Amino acid sequence: MSTKEQRERIELLQGTLDLLILRTLVRGAVHGHAIAKAIEFNSDEVLQVEQGSLYPALHRLIKRGWISVEEGASENNRRAKFYKLTAKGRRQLAVETSKWDKLAGAIARILRPAKQEGES
Amino acid sequence: MSRRKQFLENLDQDIREHIEAETQDNIARGMSPEEAHYAAMRKFGNVIRVKEETREVWISVWFQQLLQDVRFALRTLRKNPGFALTAIFTLALGIAANIIVFGVLQALVLRPIDIPHPERVMTLEPTNKDRGMFFAYPEVRDVRDMNSVFSAVAADTVRSFGLEANGATRQVWGYEVSGQYFEVLGIRPFLGRLLERADDAHPGASKAAVISWPAWKSLFNADPDIVGKTVRVNKQTYTIVGVTPRGFYGTEKFLQPDIFVPMANATELEGIDWLESRKDGYVFSIVRLKDGVTVAQANADLKTIVARIIRQYPKDEETLSVKLAKPGLAGDFMGAPVRAFLIAVMALAGIVLLAACANLGSLFAARTADRAKEIAIRLAIGSSRWRILRQIVTEAFVISILASACACELAWIALTAFANWRPETNAPVLFAVQPQPSLYLASFAISIFAGAIFGIMPLRQIFKTDPHDAIKGGGGQSAAGRRWALRDVLLATQIALCCVTVTAAFVALRGLHKSLTADMGFKPQNAVLTKFDLALAGYTKDSAEHFQRQLLDRAAQLPGVEAVSYSNTTPLAMDNSTEVFFSRDTIDLRRTNEAFVAPFYCVAPGYFNAAGTPLLEGRDVSFTDTAKVPAVAVVNQEFARQMFHTEHGVGQYFENQLGDLVQVVGIVADGKYIFVSEQIQPAAFLPIAQRPDTSTTLVIRSHADPFTIAAAARQLVRDLDPAVPFDVSGAWSNQLALQVLPAQAATVALGIFGAFGLLLSITGTFGLASYTVSKRLRELSIRVALGAQAKQIISTALGRMLVLLGGGALVGMALGLAASRLLSYVVYGASAHDPFVLAAVVATMMLAGVLSVAGPVRRALHIDPAKLLREQ
Repeated sequence: MSTKEQRERIELLQGTLDLLILRTLVRGAVHGHAIAKAIEFNSDEVLQVEQGSLYPALHRLIKRGWISVEEGASENNRRAKFYKLTAKGRRQLAVETSKWDKLAGAIARILRPAKQEGES
Repeated sequence: MSRRKQFLENLDQDIREHIEAETQDNIARGMSPEEAHYAAMRKFGNVIRVKEETREVWISVWFQQLLQDVRFALRTLRKNPGFALTAIFTLALGIAANIIVFGVLQALVLRPIDIPHPERVMTLEPTNKDRGMFFAYPEVRDVRDMNSVFSAVAADTVRSFGLEANGATRQVWGYEVSGQYFEVLGIRPFLGRLLERADDAHPGASKAAVISWPAWKSLFNADPDIVGKTVRVNKQTYTIVGVTPRGFYGTEKFLQPDIFVPMANATELEGIDWLESRKDGYVFSIVRLKDGVTVAQANADLKTIVARIIRQYPKDEETLSVKLAKPGLAGDFMGAPVRAFLIAVMALAGIVLLAACANLGSLFAARTADRAKEIAIRLAIGSSRWRILRQIVTEAFVISILASACACELAWIALTAFANWRPETNAPVLFAVQPQPSLYLASFAISIFAGAIFGIMPLRQIFKTDPHDAIKGGGGQSAAGRRWALRDVLLATQIALCCVTVTAAFVALRGLHKSLTADMGFKPQNAVLTKFDLALAGYTKDSAEHFQRQLLDRAAQLPGVEAVSYSNTTPLAMDNSTEVFFSRDTIDLRRTNEAFVAPFYCVAPGYFNAAGTPLLEGRDVSFTDTAKVPAVAVVNQEFARQMFHTEHGVGQYFENQLGDLVQVVGIVADGKYIFVSEQIQPAAFLPIAQRPDTSTTLVIRSHADPFTIAAAARQLVRDLDPAVPFDVSGAWSNQLALQVLPAQAATVALGIFGAFGLLLSITGTFGLASYTVSKRLRELSIRVALGAQAKQIISTALGRMLVLLGGGALVGMALGLAASRLLSYVVYGASAHDPFVLAAVVATMMLAGVLSVAGPVRRALHIDPAKLLREQ
């Protein structure tokens, strides 16, 4: 249950989170906690992911067939689930990345002139 | 499914491990274990929500929320059992009314008779209503031989027979059918064979009979070797050659026949030779259209055939005209009024349902208004409007589906009772309205429709709710009662609709009252009829007379008998026949020269006394009025008026259909003869000594218990001849049941709708009135505190309610009056312009209005401003 604005924000986040997860998995199978860590570390801790929201996102990606799961042992030799990019997921990552680039570029183009106008 | 399960199963563990890993990391960073755990939890977020969201990934969100809504709705309803029960009960009645009416409509009108390709089977019908609903057999035979559009043409007629089987004589009902009857129907026998063309080739061609499945079951104990066994039908030996299939009830929907015999044997069976007569109609006709022939083509062909028949027999067939009609209810003769009535009732049922929906809708709207604060809070904490609306609509659907379940049960009980109900008549009347499973579907569809209607009523309210205003304004009190709200319109609509049902109920009630108290020209009270046909026991008209005279003498000796006589039949019985009468100087006895067609009765002396028909002038018939002396008759006043243009016709002459002169010797009061609802019409009473008849109705007038008298009369008949099967025997009033049945049925049906409509309008008005008062309690209190008078308070609080009530009632009455014209089809004297009806409707609606606003008015008048202002 959410107001309209909040939902839009979540949707944006969801899509972004999915993209970030896919990106993280490019280098190989990673388990849940490590994905969260990697995202935080790679973004210089700018993106503070609420770690719980990782799980719905992971399941969504599994359902779409973009990632798969395998059992394995974590660094400290505990049983853990490792998430792995599928071929479909790899293709999707390319699509999503280019989409994201376009979006970011477009928003930047819109924002920059506006900013200049505002300043001048 | 399995994949989902597999992933979800380990979710708890995954989350636990995730948090564990984070805690370990935190400890590694130097936190205390406890601190580390909390930090990890904080970072993870709401575990329960994460689980729910993850689960939602797999389960369709829509479905899950629906489950949630249903659960929430059930919980809300449990919390308000009063509201829930009222809502479910109201709606259940509305839905039940609709499915019951729909069930009857389906059985009697929509569903074709159970035969292959029923749409190709039609019935022939005279378009000239003066000819009644029957054809003369030669007319049907001509159509059969001359047409090029039908694959089969058959005549059939319903008769009662004396059936001797297994050592007992019973009166049964059946069809005399011509050779192609079963060819038209195209049904396969359940056992043996059906009647064929050869059976009907000429009188006496075959003594074969086919029995119906119910007769095989009940009269012959489902004997598997029935084919080839012999029975006696009207003392003639017949061989049973087959049994019709189970679902087959003959071609007329109200009747359940037991036996089918060849029409060629009619003369032998009935003792009357009508097969070759073109003068009188005795048969129905059903036909099967050839493949590819349209109804229009068939009607065109019929037209040319009729023209040929008229050219050939100008004297008898001058008024012949034929068209095709739907089979099952004696063509359009009965079908049209039955259909019109059922459709009118269906419309009323729809109105009741709409009124119920309007009622529930305003209830829902009021509830939503009460929940404005709750809704505002939910909006404020981030719920979407759609979600709230969906939840309210779900509540509506939960109510309507529960109601539809109750309604199904109600309808099932009512229809089963109706199907098993046998009105007290001499014919095997059958209402084949066994409930069908398709009714469940209908009920479900109606409930969804209803739920949608009243569920979306609060739509606007939800969408205009502004959380800020609602919370600031303390629940939207200021808004209530200021503008015209949707619920006001709903209330007015509902009152108008209810007023329609109330008007219809009063019109029907008035009609029933009129038909019960109408002067029938005889007094059924304290009279007992015993009816039988001696032809069924092998008597001829001459031997019957001896029997009848003997019976009369013995019956006169019975204790407590005040008057006794007999006739061939009595007015308003089902077997009345009519005859053509000509004025004295008519030479050419063709149909267009006739004075009129009128019912006639062959009566024994003393009949008028026994029946309670006032003899106004002249003398009664007498046993000396035999065939050897000139023909005489007693006629009613209308007969004299139409024939002689005077009410005093004693001594005058008219001609009967044979061209014989008949002298009027007596005049009796007018009465009702064929239908209770008929206009005044002429009727003739002929001495039975001049017109002997095997059909006998013994009329006994006595103040003794009718049951005892009837039993004694039956014993007398049995003493004379044990082989005579009885038609009916009992109080005359009971035997008129079928005559008042349509009016009674209409009154009961419309009365129920009327009462229901009234109930709905009272609860609806009461609900809205008390809601208005309670919403404006604070404002009213301030007014009272400032010195407002009672009148001002009422007009402020409920002024608009009264306007709505008045306006709604006026519109409703106008609609009701317009609609009640339909009622005149079934209810005698149903006129909406009856001052009694108008007064009754106005009084009822006013009473309902007073009843429903009395409580709220009292509350508004007894406001204690000090108390209220203290509380709020």
